[in-house]
Amino acid sequence: MFPAPKEEVPVPPVSVASTPKPFRVAADVGGTFTDIVAFDEKSGEAYYGKTLTTPEELVKGILTGVDKAGTSVRSTRLFLHGTTVGINTLLERTGAKTALLTTRGFRDVYEIGRINRPESYNLFFRKHVPLIPRALRFEVSERMNAAGGVHVPLDEAELIATAAQLRAEGVQAVAILFLHSYINPDHEIRAKKLIEQHCPGLFVSASHELSKEYREYERTSTVAANAYIGPRIKTYLGELQTRFEQERFDGSFFVVQSNGGLFDIARAQRECIRMLESGPAAGVIGAKAVCDRLGIANAIAFDMGGTTAKAGVVLGGEVLMAGDIMVGGYAEGLPIQIPLIDTQEVGTGGGSIARIEEGGGLRVGPQSAGASPGPVCYDLGGEQPTVTDANLILGRLSATNFLGGEMKLNTKKAEAALKRNVADRMKISLTQAADGIVRIAASTMSNVVTRVTTERGLDAGDFAMVAYGGAGPLHACIVARELRIPKVIIPPAPGHFSAYGMLMADLRWDFVRTWFKPVNTLKFEELEELFSEMEMEKEGLAMLKKSVKQNQIVCTRAADMRYVGQEHSVNVELPASVFKKRDPAGLKSHFDREHLKRYEFNAPKEPAEIVSLHSSIIGRMPKPVSQAMTAGQIAKRKTPARRKVYFTEATGYVDTPIYNRSELVAGQRIKGPALVEEYASTTVIFHGDSLEVSKFGDLVIQIARS
Amino acid sequence: MASLVKSVKKNATLKKAPTRPAKTTRKIKVDPVVTEIVRNAVVAYTEEMKSNLMRTAYSMIIYEAQDFTVGLFDARGDIISIAIGLPNFVRGLSDTVKACMNHFGLKGMQPGDVLLTNDAYITGSHLNHITLVVPIFEGRTLVGFSGCMAHWADIGGALNIMTRDIFSEGLQLPVLKIYKAGKLNEELLSIIQMNVRIPERALGDLHAQIAAVRTGARRYLELIGRYGRAAVLDGIAAIMDHSEALARKRVREIPDGVYEAESFMDDDGVDEGKRIPIKVKVTVKGDEMTVDLTEVGMQVKGFYNSGAAAGKGCCQVAFKCLTSAMDKPINEGSFRPLKIILPPSRVVSATKPAPMRRWMTYPMTVIDTIFKAVAPAIPGKVIAGHHAELMSAVMNGQHPGDGKLFILYGGTPGGGWGAKKGADGANATICINDGDTHNSPIEQVEAHYPVMVEHYGLREDSGGAGQWQGGMGAIKKVRATSDYMFNTMVERVYCRPWGLFGGHPGLGNEVRIQIDREPEIKFPSGKILGRPMKSGEAYVLMSGGGGGYGNPLERPVEKIEEDLRQGYISRRRAEGCYGIVFDQKTGNIDRAATLKLRGRLRGLSLSLARPEMEDAALVEEAIEAIDAMEIPAGLYLTDGRVFPFRCC
Repeated sequence: MFPAPKEEVPVPPVSVASTPKPFRVAADVGGTFTDIVAFDEKSGEAYYGKTLTTPEELVKGILTGVDKAGTSVRSTRLFLHGTTVGINTLLERTGAKTALLTTRGFRDVYEIGRINRPESYNLFFRKHVPLIPRALRFEVSERMNAAGGVHVPLDEAELIATAAQLRAEGVQAVAILFLHSYINPDHEIRAKKLIEQHCPGLFVSASHELSKEYREYERTSTVAANAYIGPRIKTYLGELQTRFEQERFDGSFFVVQSNGGLFDIARAQRECIRMLESGPAAGVIGAKAVCDRLGIANAIAFDMGGTTAKAGVVLGGEVLMAGDIMVGGYAEGLPIQIPLIDTQEVGTGGGSIARIEEGGGLRVGPQSAGASPGPVCYDLGGEQPTVTDANLILGRLSATNFLGGEMKLNTKKAEAALKRNVADRMKISLTQAADGIVRIAASTMSNVVTRVTTERGLDAGDFAMVAYGGAGPLHACIVARELRIPKVIIPPAPGHFSAYGMLMADLRWDFVRTWFKPVNTLKFEELEELFSEMEMEKEGLAMLKKSVKQNQIVCTRAADMRYVGQEHSVNVELPASVFKKRDPAGLKSHFDREHLKRYEFNAPKEPAEIVSLHSSIIGRMPKPVSQAMTAGQIAKRKTPARRKVYFTEATGYVDTPIYNRSELVAGQRIKGPALVEEYASTTVIFHGDSLEVSKFGDLVIQIARS
Repeated sequence: MASLVKSVKKNATLKKAPTRPAKTTRKIKVDPVVTEIVRNAVVAYTEEMKSNLMRTAYSMIIYEAQDFTVGLFDARGDIISIAIGLPNFVRGLSDTVKACMNHFGLKGMQPGDVLLTNDAYITGSHLNHITLVVPIFEGRTLVGFSGCMAHWADIGGALNIMTRDIFSEGLQLPVLKIYKAGKLNEELLSIIQMNVRIPERALGDLHAQIAAVRTGARRYLELIGRYGRAAVLDGIAAIMDHSEALARKRVREIPDGVYEAESFMDDDGVDEGKRIPIKVKVTVKGDEMTVDLTEVGMQVKGFYNSGAAAGKGCCQVAFKCLTSAMDKPINEGSFRPLKIILPPSRVVSATKPAPMRRWMTYPMTVIDTIFKAVAPAIPGKVIAGHHAELMSAVMNGQHPGDGKLFILYGGTPGGGWGAKKGADGANATICINDGDTHNSPIEQVEAHYPVMVEHYGLREDSGGAGQWQGGMGAIKKVRATSDYMFNTMVERVYCRPWGLFGGHPGLGNEVRIQIDREPEIKFPSGKILGRPMKSGEAYVLMSGGGGGYGNPLERPVEKIEEDLRQGYISRRRAEGCYGIVFDQKTGNIDRAATLKLRGRLRGLSLSLARPEMEDAALVEEAIEAIDAMEIPAGLYLTDGRVFPFRCC
């Protein structure tokens, strides 16, 4: 399916064989921690490093982490990087002074937005605040019509005069959005060129480079955000590159995008917005890799940390994608219209605060104690009881073995806070309060999990769950039971899982292009040509060819389709057979089937249309091969420690075996109730549930049917 | 025949789950954890119904404009949770569920039934609002209802005219069963198909609605299956009690008293220029509030009437905004401390055969007027008047592409919202009857309809001046690229959004037409029905600005400077409304001179009776008075203080 290249591009040898450098390293720079996973390809061993993220010296933090993981960039042949620099720059509003150039008559589109009020009864609601103030939004005489024809030619003289204004204003970045550029980008291309000529050194970004989908507000917001974070990301990645060169790094360096794929530094420095959600995306990619090695087709990736819980979906072995994201939340956030891994998020995490609300109900979150002051038991000044405190009181967390014993937890303080703030006020026991908090948190999280499945007409009960993040393993079995999920998998090192996921990522390029077309008048030649155009995109192709072998390059095609007159479209994969048959009726019935599957009804007699074409080009990277654990001598292992742990009202506190994860061996079976502790996480196994250690070290838990 | 007999037998054993009385003094012992889980669950379920409907609906008005409401109801028809949709339909859906229940009675409903109606006097709105209701049975016991209202793009009836009764507005469907015990009523479907202009779209939306209500019912039963009927129903009762307790607490914070306010609608489109009074009386006593709409104008000849469900809805919307704006689920408990007095035949409690097509417009002004009434009691919780108009432009004609009829709901540029204590009003945002309603992307509209948008931007200087400034309205100019029929039904052109506590009114809504490139023609009224629009002609919708809050002279100079820099206000406004003096040479603000002038203006005291009415005679009188005092040209006097005027 992949078209043959027109000219021969020399394919450099993939460096595996010729280099003695055995390390493949992933660095996930989060808001609080920088996680490093170093995979030694020779031994098949993985090494982990965790350092505090130092916002002023991110590069130094990475190098320290690599050092902690027991390796160096010099002995690394492949370095993968995900960072929150982009998203933080947006959320904290610390980006560049940016200007917008847009079609005459439309400079306020960015400020007006979609005019909606999600908080319908809130008189004090606030709209999104644009990244570019009105005074820096300039109008240019030009106009395309909806068919892509020139209605008003681009006024170049006027544009050049505006360029002078941009220089005078001292802007650092420029975003360009012209109406209908998704279908004809000529004016955007020309304007960008002129601005680059007349304002050398500015970061210039045009909307069609990032999105070829209709919706002018969303595209404006996307290109504005890209320009706004651009200079900072560009500098950051540049520094990283320089520093790595100084450290004599000569391997390949890739950045993780929100679609879970990798791209090279040059492109990452221009299309910065694509790396916004690299951490969460990598987690889902990791979950997919776990599914692959265990032979699981459908799974929910469940990530619970200190402040949020996130869920993504693997369906039929593929990660499900979304077309946009609202950065900063639905109510006031800014839309970014790029393909990315679909994750839903809820403000429930270990740090979520439990409180009695005014009307007398018990609430958990979304307020969070965060990392500082943190839960009461951290003893860092927190006074409001959190989910973590509840888990400690229930015996599910160890007061002495938290973070491998690096941090002692104060149970007494946690109990006092919970008693004062919740138990006494509700006239229930401390245990009931703690148990209630965890159950409420789990129900909130199970609702977010259902959101990713039911919106597509899928049933969570048909999925397995891969749980990770510091607090994921602690709550996974409760959430799974709530959703009738039969199987939970806790991968090794769940606290470093996003970094691990990066190691499993492929090179990937996603294209979306709006193309309104009725299916019955569709010409396959035209369709084929449009897809080929996307698949032949020069720069993406060059990147792929440089890094992977030709036979490792695959393309997938899909289309957003809908019944004529319908507004919302359904993303339908287009298998090769569709193109072979060249039969519009076949395409139509393919769509009918998908619609029925997702929404419980379809309309075979109704005409359908295509809205957008999707093309993904994937360069399959050689993956680290997880070394199978040796089935050790179970008899030799130590007798597990025990402590009192509360499970349910029926069981109360039970004397429970506590296993150390590092001592488990492949094939080992454990029946609940039990706890498995490791450095940054604890897995809780309930009565009736049973665990088996996979040969890759995953904890595979069968959930008993209630 | 045999199956019919069987189903009758089945019905005989049906029973209704016991529900607790609406008000109870008995403190029942409920599981607080299950209650919280139920709370989260019912919100999630109604959100799921909403997304299910939005993703499958055919009509842009459902998907983009979110002109729908979905909800779960208890066995009495009281709201468990509603997902908005239309904020003002908060009462309409529950009232419709109750009407369906009363129509068939407990014995007349069975598992597998889907009930349907668009009776305008039940829903309180127009015939486009097709409402579906599924009775939810656990075994043989009725445990609740799942409901969904959605706006169909067309329901038949006359286009392009001012309707004068309900019969000219389209197909009326009394309470019926579209599914009876799981069997589709094909005859009803045929009747619908024959009476609407775009049947495939209508049936598509109907399917989407059925899927949504069934989803809600299924989830509700799953919840009961998981935690037990008693625990879930007790949990729901407890949630309602929580909400009630909370609402009562908030009402107690409002000083007792009787609060009144009045505003006006322009006219009903038939008796041109005849203002319609919107007079409300709010009584607060202890933890209860009563809203009396007796003195709201009588139902009108034109299509601006709405039914009692909408009239009650206004009061509940205002009450919720003031007492539990962000609380979820939206449920019946929140409304228990509110009493409503609404005799029949008012513009918001119209009776048959009053025309109802623009049912949504007047209730918004009723809501704003309630805020105005209670403003002296709770100045920190209310907002000044907003543009209170959807500002739609409805076009229909032959599509130049396929020659088929098209109906385009255009316009909806958003408008200015009132300022409030501590913050300026929101710019270009949808009016209060529409919540998460989106405008349509220009690129989408142009790709599908014969129009070209020439301008979409903020309306500078349109927000009322104030210590906190009213939000700006928007301007949208759209040129026809083929011939079609054009309609707008815009209100509040004359009765402008009012300010509070000395804040100025915002600009009113406005409609203009441009023939080719000639100067734009301002229409004296916002109502243009059935105007044939030629290719090359353009319409311009200019939405009003929100009212200001507090004395404009108290607005910090820095803020005014910033507004000038961003081009939100003109120099003329800065001078005329805010008492700013500019340095003649540099063009910058002369701070010393500004301080002096503002001080002088503060010392003056005159008043205008009803600034929002923009009574020309009173304005003239005021200007004369100002001239006599040798104050810089054009000042506006209101609420016992002197403020600049003629800026807008």
